[in-house]
This record gives sequence, C-alpha cells and structure tokens, in this order.
Amino acid sequence: MIRKEPRLYYRVFVWSGTLRLFHWTLAFSTFILILTGIYIHYPPITTKWAEFKPLYIMATLRYWHFAAGYFFICALAVRFYLFFAGNQYERPTDFLPINKRNLKSLVYNIKFYLYLTDEHECRMGHTILAGTIYFVLFICGVVMGLTGLYLLYPETPTIAKIGHELFGTPQQARLIHYLLNWFFIFFILVHLYIAIWNDFNAPDAIISGAFSGSKMMPADLECPVEELEKIPFEK
Amino acid sequence: MFTKDHINDFAGGGVSRRTFLKGCAIAAATLGLSPDVVPKMVEAAMSPKRPPVVWLHFQECTGCSEALLRAARPDIATLILDLISLDYHETLMAAAGKQAEENLHNAITKNAGKFICVVEGGIPTKDSGIYCKIGGKTAMEILGDVAPKAKAIIAIGTCGAFGGVQAAKPNPTGAVGVQDLIKDRPIINIPGCPPNPENFLATVVQILTYGRPPELDELGRPKFAYGRKIHDHCERRPHFDEGRFVERFGDPGHKKGYCLYKVGCKGPVTYSNCSVERFCNIGVWPVGVGHGCIGCTEPGFWDTMTPIYKHLPGIYIPVGGGIREQAEEIGKVAVGGAAAVIAAHAAVGIGKKLFSIRCSTENKDEEK
Repeated sequence: MIRKEPRLYYRVFVWSGTLRLFHWTLAFSTFILILTGIYIHYPPITTKWAEFKPLYIMATLRYWHFAAGYFFICALAVRFYLFFAGNQYERPTDFLPINKRNLKSLVYNIKFYLYLTDEHECRMGHTILAGTIYFVLFICGVVMGLTGLYLLYPETPTIAKIGHELFGTPQQARLIHYLLNWFFIFFILVHLYIAIWNDFNAPDAIISGAFSGSKMMPADLECPVEELEKIPFEK
Repeated sequence: MFTKDHINDFAGGGVSRRTFLKGCAIAAATLGLSPDVVPKMVEAAMSPKRPPVVWLHFQECTGCSEALLRAARPDIATLILDLISLDYHETLMAAAGKQAEENLHNAITKNAGKFICVVEGGIPTKDSGIYCKIGGKTAMEILGDVAPKAKAIIAIGTCGAFGGVQAAKPNPTGAVGVQDLIKDRPIINIPGCPPNPENFLATVVQILTYGRPPELDELGRPKFAYGRKIHDHCERRPHFDEGRFVERFGDPGHKKGYCLYKVGCKGPVTYSNCSVERFCNIGVWPVGVGHGCIGCTEPGFWDTMTPIYKHLPGIYIPVGGGIREQAEEIGKVAVGGAAAVIAAHAAVGIGKKLFSIRCSTENKDEEK
C-alpha cells in the first residue's frame, strides 16, 4: 500500500470551542438562509387559487430568513474576533498564502487534490487552499450580511446611507445578494464533498474534528513541507 | 390673518373658497402636517407676493407637465394663477420665439435669488451638450444661466432628478440629472415617470409656507412622499405574506387580485407614496389596476429595474437574456460543474484505489 498503515497517531487539539460554535452556527444558518432565500426569490405555487385557510408562508419564511440572518452575522462577528484573538491555527497568518512556507504548502495541496501526489500533508490548522477559500467565503459573508441588512432596514438612516454608498439602490443590493447566494450553494457542495473525500484519503479525521476540535497527527510525521510544527498533545 | 371676504375676493377668479381651502388642506395632509397649519398655508398661498417660477424643459416627453395639468387638488389654474407666478413654461405660456426668450431673461434678472426653478428633463453633457438646444443655447448653458440665480431648484420627474431614460445605458448623449451639475443650490428631486403632481404641489406649498424645502432623503427626495416603501403600504401585501402570487397576467390569481411580485413588481425596492396618494383623483395606481410597480422613482430604473416583468434586473451582459436568466445559467453551470467535478474526482479516486489494490496483490503474488 502507498500509505504506511497502521501508524501511530497523536490526537492534537486544534479547533477551539468558539471556532466550532462559529462553524456550526454558520453552517445551520446558511442552510436555512439558502432554502428560505430561494423561496423568497421565486416562490413556487403553494396556495391553490381558491381562498382557503391562511398559511402565511411568505411571512413565515421571511421571518426564518431574517432570524437565521442574525445568527449568520453573529457567527461572522465571532470569526472576525478569532482572526485576532483565536489560537495560532485560527489566525489568517496561518492559512493565507502570504509567506513562502504557505505558498509552498498551497502548491502541494493543489497537487494532492489533483491526485498528482499521494502523500498527504499532515497539517495542524487549515490547509492553505481551504483557508484561502474560507477567507473568500468570509468576505462574501460580510457582503451578504451588509446587503441583507440594507434590504431589511432600508429606511434606517445610517444603514440607508452606508448601503447607498456601497451598493446603490436596494434593487442593486438585491441583485448582489442574490448572485452571491450561488457562491454559497457552490461552496457547500464542494465543502461537503472535500470533507468526506479527505476522511477517506487522509488520516486527520477532519469530520470528527469539526465536532471534537482535534486532529490526528502521525507520530512519525513525514511531511514534505518542512518546519511543520510538532506540537505535543496537550489538553 | 385673512377674512372670509378676503378669501372670496381672492378666490373670485374661478376657484371657490371651499375648493381653495380644500386644496390647502390636502397639501397639508400630503405633507403629513397637522390641520393647524392650514390657516398658515392659506395665508402663505394668498400672499400677494406669489413666488415666481421658471419651468425649464430639456430632454423630456412633457409627461410631467401633462400629469400636472391633470392635478385637481388644487387644479392647475389655482396653481399658476393663485399659488405661484409661472413666468416661463414652454408648454403653457402664450409667448413664443424671441418674446419667450425675453420673458425668461426678464424673469431671472428681475427675480434673481427669489424664484423657484423647476427642471423637467435630463441634461445632455456629451459633446458640450449639443444634443438639446433651445433658442440656439444648449440645455447646459440655459441651466447654467438660470440655476445659480434660483432660490431653490425642483427637479421634476426621473429625468430631471437622475437623467431618466436618456441616461439609460449606454447613455449616448451623456444625460445627467440636475444634481449632477448644480451643487451650490438647494435641489429637491420629485422623481417618477411621471411623478404624482400632488407631491410637487405639496413641495411648493411647503416652500411657500415655511420658506425652506421639506426634509429630504439621501437621494434628495422629500421624505413625506418618498420616505416609505410602496410594498409596505400596498393593498396586495397580505397576498404576498400569504404566498399567493399572480403567475401570469390574466390567470385566476390575477383576477382575484393576488400579489404581483412574481410578474416583476418592484414595489419591494421602490420608495414612493403611490400606494397611498394614488393618481388622477380617482384612487387609481398601477398595482391597483393589476400591473406591477416599475420602480420609476428610483435612480437608474431603466437599467436596474428592467425587464419590467422580472423582479431582478436585466443588465444585458454579452449575449442572451436578462441578468437573472444569465445568473441562473451561471448558477446551473456552476452547480452542474461542481457536481461533475465531484463525480469525476471521486471516480478517479476510486479507480486509482482499485488499480493500486490490484498492483499490491500482484506484488504480493510476485513475493510469493
């Protein structure tokens, strides 16, 4: 076999409770936002032409959309806080391709995902490819949050002013809000696939890590990227 | 203060005292003011010093003037004979040619700093503004002569306010609204295609009564008229919340008066008092008669609010349909592409695994 299994693994604690809370809040709120958002964008026929007992469906789904939107914005605020106050793996310096080591790692990630190499980079935090895309997602999330607030409170003077400066009329904000929705749908598909794929192909156990916060690191760490931190398991 | 006789004398020229007071009361109501100010308004409106108004026409269809002619609260006669002194209006004035030009010149020199300038229509700026000329002068030159001398400028209609249809992409004449050219005068935008004449009249009465323009929003529109969303005051709103939509014009839902959201109503993103103030004094307005709002009071509505029967804009990018279709096409391709990539990626992975298992068994066989 290509991988030397079985191996001896450390269980390393990587993701703080706050980060996991952020992750799942964002995941569930995005899920609800996409489903309700698609209804709001193009409501399918739900009510027969004959008048019958009230469903109040648009109002209810908009209510869910706005409520989920608040959770979404709060989750982003928590992530923003963690950019500065999180542990070393949660800070942008660890996962953005901004230095030589990270760039090298990025090239390596891409090769791994294209089956050009079999050796998995056992990395403590996000891989650089994932981290970069998460960062883009964060920016898109901020734009979603701002356009969403602008559409929800177009008459509040401060929001109206900021929204008008940034996006123009509510109609233009609505278009941006709608288009970015597709990015989130696309992201969720790829994210789920890659997470599951990684669980098959790499020993880190990242799906379980999304709950437990830990990663499995081989004791005989043989990684092509040098200087990789060998941090002993401490909890 | 005024007396009954005074009003009767004043209103002798074809307008009854009752009509006149009613006009003032309606103007106060439109502005959202208390009935207590009606006497003050009556006084202001009766003042012998009627404010001179110079009405300029540039790139426009005269629809705004046409709408104004149909105003009845108060009617146009009361407006131009009793409330204001309309010194120059190309459609309504008797003078023509040189005489008309003289009238304009006299009006702006005699009343410099006192008159209200109303601008109807966009102003072309490309190629030194040669695309709109009146009496040998470009619209830019005329506005440049008149606007600095005005006390306040009212840009009536979406063209005057934001450039309107002339400014729609690709804007061949470089048309702009008044606010893009004039910076040092108070400008009140009364957009709409056409705007409700009552919003214009109420603004004029507000300036007469208080000597200052009404409170404006970020786009320079009076808040009393453009401060609220059409959607929030729409009679069909319950159908929206209920999820009952017109699918197609003329379908059973349309006949029952369901929400027009799915056939492109822009009420949710349009600010105006159409749903409350209504038009033509008989309580009609687009949504009331079964046609969605087209968003005509918003800047750039020809670009951002079209196609009219789709609720997201149709900025035409390279080829094909409106942007929503395009976005959906891109969306479909993206989702389909993602699914295809995932499938291919998974297939390669599985294939590779099978292959490596076969290789390793072969190796084992060799070892044996």
